[in-house]
Amino acid sequence: MRALFGSQPGNPVRYCKRTSSMKVRILITGACLFFIHSTAWGNSAPEQLAFFEKKIRPVLAEHCYECHSADAKKIGGKLLLDTRKGMLDGGESGPSLDLHNIDLSLVLQALKWEGDLEMPPEEPLSPSVVSDFRKWIEMGAPDPRKEEPSEIEERTYEEGSLWSFHPVEKPTLPTVKNREWPIQPLDQFILSKLEDKNISPAETAPPRTLIRRLHFDLTGLPPSPEEVREFTAAYKNDPNVAVSRLADKLLASPHFGERWGRHWLDVARYAESNGNDGLSRNPTFPHAWRYRDYVIDAWNRDVPYDRFLTQQIAGDLLDFSSPEEHDRNRIATGFLALTAKPAKAMNNNFAMDVVADQIDVVSRGVMGISVACARCHDHKFDPVSAQDYYAMAGIFTSTETMWGVAGNEKLTAPPTDLHVLDAAPFVAPPKDFVETVILKESNTGKPKEIPKSKWEPGTPLAMGVRDAKEPADCKINLKGDAKKLGEPVPRGFLSSYSIPSPEIASTTSGRLELSQWLTSGEHPQTARVMVNRIWSHLFGKGIVGTPDDFGVYGERPSHPELLDFLACQFVEDGWSMKRLIRSIVTSRTYRLDSIAVEDTLSADPGNTWYSRHDRRRLDAESLRDSILAVSGQLNPNPSEGSIIRHRDILVNLAGNLHEPSQHRSIYLCYLRNSPPPELAAFDLPDFLSVNGKRDESTIPGHALYLYNSPFVVEQSTHLAESILSQDLPDEESIIRSLYDRALLRTPDPEELYRAKELLESSRAETESEPQAWACLCQALIATNEFRYID
Amino acid sequence: MNETFLSRRKILQSASSGFGYLAFSGLAQASLSQRPPLHQARAKRVIFLCMSGGPAQLDTFDYKPQTGKKPHPGSIYPFHQHGDSGLWISELMPETAKHADKLCLLNGMHADTGIHAQSFLQLHTGDRLRERPSLGAWVSYGLGTENQNLPGFVSLNTSRPSIYSSAFLPSIYSGTPIGANGEEMSKATIANVTSSHFSNDLKRKQLDFVQVMNRNHLSQRQDDQKLEGVIQSMELGFRMQMTAPDLLDLSTESPATLERYRVGAQKGPVGTCRVSDFGRQCLLARRFVEAGVRFVEVNHGSWDQHKNHRRDLEANCAATDAPIAALLEDLEQRGLLEDTLVVWGGEFGRPGLTPGDGKDETGHNANGFTFWMAGGGVKGGFAYGKTNETGARAVEGKVHFRDLHATIFDLMGLPANDLKYRHEGREHRLTGPEGGRVVREIYA
Repeated sequence: MRALFGSQPGNPVRYCKRTSSMKVRILITGACLFFIHSTAWGNSAPEQLAFFEKKIRPVLAEHCYECHSADAKKIGGKLLLDTRKGMLDGGESGPSLDLHNIDLSLVLQALKWEGDLEMPPEEPLSPSVVSDFRKWIEMGAPDPRKEEPSEIEERTYEEGSLWSFHPVEKPTLPTVKNREWPIQPLDQFILSKLEDKNISPAETAPPRTLIRRLHFDLTGLPPSPEEVREFTAAYKNDPNVAVSRLADKLLASPHFGERWGRHWLDVARYAESNGNDGLSRNPTFPHAWRYRDYVIDAWNRDVPYDRFLTQQIAGDLLDFSSPEEHDRNRIATGFLALTAKPAKAMNNNFAMDVVADQIDVVSRGVMGISVACARCHDHKFDPVSAQDYYAMAGIFTSTETMWGVAGNEKLTAPPTDLHVLDAAPFVAPPKDFVETVILKESNTGKPKEIPKSKWEPGTPLAMGVRDAKEPADCKINLKGDAKKLGEPVPRGFLSSYSIPSPEIASTTSGRLELSQWLTSGEHPQTARVMVNRIWSHLFGKGIVGTPDDFGVYGERPSHPELLDFLACQFVEDGWSMKRLIRSIVTSRTYRLDSIAVEDTLSADPGNTWYSRHDRRRLDAESLRDSILAVSGQLNPNPSEGSIIRHRDILVNLAGNLHEPSQHRSIYLCYLRNSPPPELAAFDLPDFLSVNGKRDESTIPGHALYLYNSPFVVEQSTHLAESILSQDLPDEESIIRSLYDRALLRTPDPEELYRAKELLESSRAETESEPQAWACLCQALIATNEFRYID
Repeated sequence: MNETFLSRRKILQSASSGFGYLAFSGLAQASLSQRPPLHQARAKRVIFLCMSGGPAQLDTFDYKPQTGKKPHPGSIYPFHQHGDSGLWISELMPETAKHADKLCLLNGMHADTGIHAQSFLQLHTGDRLRERPSLGAWVSYGLGTENQNLPGFVSLNTSRPSIYSSAFLPSIYSGTPIGANGEEMSKATIANVTSSHFSNDLKRKQLDFVQVMNRNHLSQRQDDQKLEGVIQSMELGFRMQMTAPDLLDLSTESPATLERYRVGAQKGPVGTCRVSDFGRQCLLARRFVEAGVRFVEVNHGSWDQHKNHRRDLEANCAATDAPIAALLEDLEQRGLLEDTLVVWGGEFGRPGLTPGDGKDETGHNANGFTFWMAGGGVKGGFAYGKTNETGARAVEGKVHFRDLHATIFDLMGLPANDLKYRHEGREHRLTGPEGGRVVREIYA
């Protein structure tokens, strides 16, 4: 761990001194046409210009200028018709005039109300007007109007709004008055702001709070009562040593990867089925679980983040030194194949919908920038043009995406190949396995035969991608319609970055180059976004409050220098996620109590300045896992494969596929539109797109889950049986033991009294002693104390 | 923390409507408590009869007879005039036709895309691609619920969560799903709504024990709105256990009522027409609005009858016609129709078939289709808007989804384009950047 960081004196902090607004030029297609033809107009015959004045200009002025002139309130489709340049350059849909193929001129098509464009929108103009326009274009579109350079090409951004596009600058450590307080360098950034604002931070949290927080944050599981006692004793001796040792122990636990892998799976919109294709068909992804296991393993091995990303974007193109590594590299590319696809049937844009998802998962997941809007038009807010979008799209259209047979339902998605693994074992279906979910004819609903798989059942397969046979650039889809093609855009990356772009050879898709571009260490967002994700999982909120949006309309960082400091540290530490987490959880800031004095609360009401720790609710997985842990039913070992590993079926025809399990929640079957019932009540995302921040809602459905779900009821009984099986001498000792197990503390006399009172009521109507105790057990599980982490 | 009720508050502060700032400050915190509308409301609640798949308007509610010598696409089923208004309705909807004088047809609907999923999402949320708050969530956000024992928005036989999601609105406004499209609807219920392991009396004692612990926990932790919110929501959940199972239990309804609604009468799927037990859905919808739920959506599909247009369309009409008629009848009879807005429609329509050409296959048409409304302060027996003579394109009285949304808001006393929510640095509204037009022409 680096003790001192970037503290060279005189190193200017350019980051926060940047004040000038930034202008970004957005390219508009067809601009060069103007130069070819402009001289021709200069020589237009007077009668031709007269024709324009008489027949064309009045129509434009009456019917078009309201939306398509410099004076328009809002310029429709970025198209200006009040200059000849504007007409030739065109707007979002392309140039208005085509002087070679006159009838392909958009302005004619629009006037005729043919195709998608219908102008003017109220009603079509008379056929004679259309024929005038045709005639005029035939003449070469003579136009005496002055050239006014259009203003809409340059977009001005509010100061600071493009902060995340600026290079990461290593800041100097701020000075602080209270030199005793900081433990890690990051603490100086927090404390200096607190001191600036005259806020006194909360005390350090007591050891019981700390160990609970660390256990849940690093492994998603509660500590045992014994671990609490050991830590408390060690903490008395030396708090710093105790916290560091605990952090090291938890970072080395196999449960670490299960916890942090789950966070990444949310970003990767991981799921084991396609989700509703829009027509209620939801095919399984029987091999998706291999990607889940890859992610857990990568976090446990502390695979550097640059490598982790490269494997997921271009693993199939990487060298390998063992069959296992070859498998891992290819499984990792499942990241790009987990798309929730809309139905192929009737959808000409299907292939581009898959590409859109791939662009989205890379752009929002890795860069924190949403590029999706540029599919149909230049991004309204962020500096991303349709050109940029189709440059990136070319990388993915040059890639073959392999999702498998999509439940053998071609109307959802055509069947594809899969990666056949080298080292993974062959696991045949159980001998008595019979597929019970039948395949149906879409139109008649009649059963049809399941096609024979091209692989022997049990062959180790993985979803993923590989380069297409003939990589090629992608043409712009006008308005996002794959049937209306514009010019091809050379494959590449987003243009608003001033970092070197690796060349993409004509023979490759460009995915490897994309991952190099993202992970060179120069990309301004890659490290910032990941550091912020990690911070956000440890504090309940990010330094940037919108972890998936670092764009113009995302939130600004509360501590920009801290974010850059951590981003630098992350890259310099070899992109080690464990080292970053360790440096954060051993800091003073992380250790603060969530309870603070009134002055602190009123000075920092939203806890913007980290004057205390934010209280958080256990997420769906941690809640289920801790209930299993305290009831004694948790099977701590990884679960092998998935319950659907041999099933290429439609989930919507299957009824409930879920089966009870005692393994950790991450190993449950995450089907889209049919989430595991034990988790569904607690703000599980829908896994359709990148999600860096789970909701923390408060709805009555949670209460109903705690009161009535078969899972909670059953585990309460297990907990009761387990507590009673200890042969404790009297009721009071059993209650104490229960509080110790569930809440990691002893009950006070009043609580003891009330627990006995509830037991008495419960005994009056239940048939057995364990059932009577189950009522008390369920109550403790339902408390906020059990479900919230201080 | 950036989410506020700011826009609403601003409007109210500037409005001389009698609510002051104080009455509203409580609303900054997400709550289901009932809120007065911002202007005179015509409708207090909504039942949305969502017809997924693209119902064929030309064979149901948009009459297009042949006009010239040459056959052209149009209605292939006979239409008749009904009621005092003489509204044209297809003979596939004989029961609904009896309520013609209650219906306000919107024949000039149009949408942006013929892609099911996208148009369906846009119909519900205003956006074709991204997850955004659903119409019902917005209404619930704007008005709260009339019954503190129930959620403000219930979605029956629903599909994706994105259809009933509150998205970035506080999730208390999210729809409560009951049953998923494609699953057995006759038994669908609210997840975990009951259990029998303890008596209600013991459950109450258990909850009292929990709440004492929760309050002590809270008092040691100063003022924490989240923890306070949980305590309240534990109570709402408990009350729902008491209220919702009874509402979902139709055994108290008379056999005659069950028969009128055709509960459980649909025997099996016919082509694209699924078994949705639409009768049970409609009856539940009536019971939910009676109980004070603000927005109820019921669903039937799929109207996407490509290859067997006639057979599947007839099945879809048969599955929904009588239940809808029973619902309209009951709402009227109970005096609920005047302030309950019933809305019927799907994500788009279909092109017409040409009589006599032997074809039985239709595709999608987003350029012209039909919705209808009833009750809630709109004209009855009225047809607004028009498609051209082949029914292919709306040409008059055009209503886009955003106009439909704006109109529903306005009818409910909510500001059509000013009910906003700040999220990720900007204000969002259901009607999107373009805004919607309130179709006042249909107001009674």
